[in-house]
Amino acid sequence: MDNEEARFLHLIGENKGILYKISKIYEDNPEDRDDLLQEMIVQLWLAFDSFRAESKFSSWMYRVALNTAIVFFKKQKRRPDNQALPYQFERAEEQSAAGEKEEQLAAFYKAVQQLNKVEKALIYLYMEDVSYMEIASNLGISEGNVRVRLNRIKNKLKELIKN
Amino acid sequence: MNIDDLKGAWNQDEPKDMHLPVSTAQLSKTTSAVGKIRNNMRNEFIAVLVSYAALIWLMFYGIQSAFFFNVTSIFVFTLIVLNCFYFFRFYLFYKSISRYDFNVKDSIRKIAYEVELNTEIYKTYNFCVTPLAVLFTFILLCGKNGMDYIRHILASNVSVAPGNLLIVFATILISFFITYVCINHHVRQQYGRYLATLKQVMDDLGQEE
Repeated sequence: MDNEEARFLHLIGENKGILYKISKIYEDNPEDRDDLLQEMIVQLWLAFDSFRAESKFSSWMYRVALNTAIVFFKKQKRRPDNQALPYQFERAEEQSAAGEKEEQLAAFYKAVQQLNKVEKALIYLYMEDVSYMEIASNLGISEGNVRVRLNRIKNKLKELIKN
Repeated sequence: MNIDDLKGAWNQDEPKDMHLPVSTAQLSKTTSAVGKIRNNMRNEFIAVLVSYAALIWLMFYGIQSAFFFNVTSIFVFTLIVLNCFYFFRFYLFYKSISRYDFNVKDSIRKIAYEVELNTEIYKTYNFCVTPLAVLFTFILLCGKNGMDYIRHILASNVSVAPGNLLIVFATILISFFITYVCINHHVRQQYGRYLATLKQVMDDLGQEE
């Protein structure tokens, strides 16, 4: 294993939470999540040459991982988006939701599945406490647009969770 | 429930049983549509090289006829020129398409543009090559009789019988039609859903509030 590869794997390991949450936000099925996770790591490795050490690795990783998640297609043989969650997955969510906050978070993840790909990217970056300026730069839209959209998304999620 | 109140639980939501690869050799090949296009391009390039090898073998050893050699040389030369042009264009695309480190808007726009442009070039390429391929197959299937007939037509001072002309035109038209249907179906099946989603994302990003 060369130095570059070791450095890459170390950085990925340090920031694996980013991959975990993006795959959870974008895919509700565990198999699709694994495929997306794999695809994000492949794309990160392929693009690793373009990473400049002067910027934060996590910022670069958000960008590549989100781009990959947005253009990712789940395998067609699996159930389409609009079907109900499989029983096993729902039960797993319930079992892991020990406390009230965890339950609310599980409900949040479920509600997020109703958002479109751009909205998912916005709410993900917002939850990660990324500044509006950085969100705007990552998505290629204006800062004002980010503010307005995020307000709408938060209201939409509140409604979805309530119902 | 306030979404901001969930940030604490969000920050504590860490991967517990997530297995990361211990070396990049463990990474499987990309399954993205872009990766699929790149694989298709590579496979088609290999197929073209193999078919050239077969054509050249046929030219020199298949049918021992100077006339056959002359006719096929013209076809092969034309096909090589067309293939060089298109495969050079595909090669540029192949090298440029895998960038995912732009911002989302630029990245999606670039990928959608490149995919759409290249599917159109791919269609054009097939339309250019098909009539030549059909005529070449026709000559091959007819063998020596076909050669004699073509030589007779070219050497004689009389017009080709209308019935025969009609057969040639009908063959070319039908091959065009079949190519059109197959290529469009193939492109739609392979990339249609992908392109539609990319355009949807671009529309979503383009909405100014």
